[in-house]
Amino acid sequence: MTAVDLLAGAADTDRSAPLARANPVAKLAVSLAVSVALLLTVDVVTAGVALLLELACLPWCGLPARSLLRRSWIVLVAAVPAGVVTAWLGVDSGASLLALGPVTVTEGSVTAGAAITLRVLAIGLPGVVLLATTDPTDLADALAQLLHLPHRFVLAALAATRLVGVLAEEWQMLSLARRARGLGDDGWTGRLRTACGQVFALLVLSIRRATTLATAMEARGFGVTSQRTWARRSEFAAFDALVVLGGVGLAALATAAGLAAGTWDLLLS
Amino acid sequence: MTQITARGWGWRHSGRRAWALRGVDLDVGSGERVLLLGPSGAGKSTLLAAVAGLLDPGSDGNGEQEGTLLLDGVPADRARTAGVRAGRARTGLLLQDPEAQTVLARCGDDVAFGLENHAVPPEEIWPRVDGALDAVGLGVGRDHPTARLSGGQRQRLALAGVLALRPEILLMDEPTSMLDPDAGEQLAALVGALLSDTRATCLLVEHRVAMWLDLVDRVVVLEPGGGVVADGPSSEVLEQQGAALAARGVWVPGHLPTGPARRDSGVVGEVLLRAENLQVSRRGTTEPVLSGVDLDVVSGRATALVGPNGSGKSTLALALSGLARHTGGDLVAQPPLLGEDTRLAAEPERWRPRDLVRRIGSVFQDPRHQFVASTVSDELAVGPRRIGLPESEVAARTDDLLERLRLVHLARANPFTLSGGEQRRVSVATALATRPRLLVLDEPTFGQDARTWAELVALLAGLLDDGAALVTATHDGALVDALADDVLTLRSAAAMTGAAG
Amino acid sequence: MTSTEPRETTHDATRPSAQGAAIALTGVVAAVAIVVAGFPGEQTLFGSDPTNLTVPAALLVALVGLWVGGWTTTTRPRWRVVDIVVASVIGVVGGFVFFAWNAAWLPLSTGLTFFPPASGILVGVWLLPGVLGGLIIRRPGAALYTELVAATLSALLGNQWGFATVWYGFLEGMGAEVVFALLLFRRWGLGAALGAGAGAGVVVGLLDAFVYYPAFSPGYKAVYVAATVVSGVVIAGLGAWALTRSIAATGALAPLASGRDARRV
Repeated sequence: MTAVDLLAGAADTDRSAPLARANPVAKLAVSLAVSVALLLTVDVVTAGVALLLELACLPWCGLPARSLLRRSWIVLVAAVPAGVVTAWLGVDSGASLLALGPVTVTEGSVTAGAAITLRVLAIGLPGVVLLATTDPTDLADALAQLLHLPHRFVLAALAATRLVGVLAEEWQMLSLARRARGLGDDGWTGRLRTACGQVFALLVLSIRRATTLATAMEARGFGVTSQRTWARRSEFAAFDALVVLGGVGLAALATAAGLAAGTWDLLLS
Repeated sequence: MTQITARGWGWRHSGRRAWALRGVDLDVGSGERVLLLGPSGAGKSTLLAAVAGLLDPGSDGNGEQEGTLLLDGVPADRARTAGVRAGRARTGLLLQDPEAQTVLARCGDDVAFGLENHAVPPEEIWPRVDGALDAVGLGVGRDHPTARLSGGQRQRLALAGVLALRPEILLMDEPTSMLDPDAGEQLAALVGALLSDTRATCLLVEHRVAMWLDLVDRVVVLEPGGGVVADGPSSEVLEQQGAALAARGVWVPGHLPTGPARRDSGVVGEVLLRAENLQVSRRGTTEPVLSGVDLDVVSGRATALVGPNGSGKSTLALALSGLARHTGGDLVAQPPLLGEDTRLAAEPERWRPRDLVRRIGSVFQDPRHQFVASTVSDELAVGPRRIGLPESEVAARTDDLLERLRLVHLARANPFTLSGGEQRRVSVATALATRPRLLVLDEPTFGQDARTWAELVALLAGLLDDGAALVTATHDGALVDALADDVLTLRSAAAMTGAAG
Repeated sequence: MTSTEPRETTHDATRPSAQGAAIALTGVVAAVAIVVAGFPGEQTLFGSDPTNLTVPAALLVALVGLWVGGWTTTTRPRWRVVDIVVASVIGVVGGFVFFAWNAAWLPLSTGLTFFPPASGILVGVWLLPGVLGGLIIRRPGAALYTELVAATLSALLGNQWGFATVWYGFLEGMGAEVVFALLLFRRWGLGAALGAGAGAGVVVGLLDAFVYYPAFSPGYKAVYVAATVVSGVVIAGLGAWALTRSIAATGALAPLASGRDARRV
């Protein structure tokens, strides 16, 4: 699954599912609430409960499990090493399970490692769902109309996002061109140098493209005044408020579970 | 009452030493249709941008201004902002690059963008969007993704975006130069119809004069760093200035360049590359875009790959140059191409880059993709150095190429700062530096002016006479007529061969 | 009446104002107060309690205070459309690079597991877009905006840190911004670039040490921060400076503030 497909919101998501139809700002608020709640503590129960609750909400998001797996592979792949590193090198407590030089695995550090892994997954999941079910244009409309972020920045960022596909194709052409010029078979350092040169070329071409795009946007009246109408209205309805409450509730529930289990430990003391 | 008035107007872009234009005196009345002509670098795009009010002479702006440029008595940049505030655009600008003008991801949203910026009431926006999309005959709905539009469709979408604003003055900067000839003709016909309907004033910059001559009534010729050189009814100006313009690179009907006569050496060429039942697919897809291609690439002969947009010309060219894998059939390099290296695989796609660059040269559609060095002479030296030639030989080849392609005065320049024609010459030179036996070119004459075209064709003819083989994927009928010995006409998922004279 | 002040070489008239200095000072004092409150008694900065959000909170307050102080002191040229679009596109390219670097980071940092704090040397790539944005656009907020766009795109494309990437991006961008702010948004040369890289490096080092690797020992944490600072200076600072000069040589920056200083071609 290429970066372009990820951003375009590929056809495997059901956009009419309840949570998918929610206003992007509501989905953003849910991601925010969950990540704040989980960043405040590192414990297995909170992270685990949060993850379970998120997975339980999945059917309402219109995202089939298989496409979820495809989209979050990097989250999955990375969650494990983070946990493993903590298990090996983290603060030790409880019975020792393994000791090999600096690597000391104890009950305490294994628990901490599991907590970190679950936490990574629990924080990463809402972001993946957010991306999969939200159209970038709708997100930009919501940010500008509801959160009143400066419209010039929001729309310019949106226009730049559209260029992602174009830039991906440019990158392919740049790679082919380098092969055609005889570059790219040098071994480690040679490849790195070629890659850096390629990033440079991409930057130059992108900046050129950006200045032309800016001219085109200004020619259509962009950026002259802040008085602007919106062709697509973004509205925050009662349903969206419900979604936000649901997200806050999820975070609260996970925290409560952690408190009840006695494992919750505020990182601020 | 003249709409556009320029008196002694000049502009210098920041970062440039030379003035783009100086001392321009021009009057354009309402409803007139003017064609701006001039050699490359004559500041035509600058003039259009100025009329559109996009040039900012302020201290934080993008250049310096001399003289005045007024739209109905108001300086052009103020006219633009006043128009936006009033909800009515004074000018609409259509640019050259279809890709660069698309702002949003869905067609309807893209057209609505301009209307939103002009604070048009929301209830009026969508009817106007639908009207504009109908008027340009785009034929796709509001929700159609812009990523899936062809170049011609994108230009129509951009035109729809401009038309929805109902501007009084339509400005077009080489709108067809990055389109294939069919799409270009269709766009010209469309613009003609729209101008008759709306009676808007039109200022047009174009190289390909022929398809726009019926549309315009007046021709203005500009001079690089100078002002107006000629101004009058189209037939008159073209008659007087036709030859001079053609010599400077404008495609003037009646003065079109032709290729040089090919020397028939009588030597039978050797087969360099053989494709049998070849099947190719686009990168990342498995479905074949072409199959059953049978082709022999012979030294001293040029093969043209022609076909409509999307027929797979570029994909086939990439496969033939060893840059893309083929998905079926065989593509085998023959001994004359393989040379003395016995360890080399038969298929070019499996060669290491160093072996590839020595045998097959590639020229891409956008020359900027191929720049890897910071000066032109370093650029030319990259290939020879990669194949391990001694420095003295590298220097000799570089100097020779700089001479042959008239790049000597640009040897220390950064390739990205060159003009389009110069960049094209540099990219061809870099492909020639390693003296490959086969040269594969993708749309080499794309967007080129007449002078560069003639030089390129002469150069390629010379290469053919010296025994190189050429494969070009091209839309350009004139190039095919001038050079091609064999023409491969492609239709999707199949291929037919025909020989051309 | 003749002026006795030395001639300004830039257009912006900059009078060190009491207001700006006051705001900056308030920010720093508040940050120190947070740290003192957060680490009562005998606990030291890298001390025995490994999981502590005091430092990120203090960092945020200090950075914002310093930045606002610098911002109020200078006259600020307005962002033009071309500035915004170019900054956005640099951010998008940065997001791409992040996506690739996130994937590369896993094997690279695993290779360094013999000495985990050394993985700090790899973070410079994540700090590059911010410094680059600042040097190319030369407006207050450029570094922050560019870094934020890159981080947001990276988060949306999917990475192992999820939404936290956006927080990180914000603070990393602020780390670079603050250095530009302290230079009153007038200096954009090599020194400013290295400083901005160092600033961003310090921020990400402290953040990682307390939020992502709370279980590291104090010694490891100190080494980690040192590694991130070096990475920031070399990769983000020097790298962005060199990139800006090379890009300027191609003429691509002509419409921007950074292009106006380049030689006329």
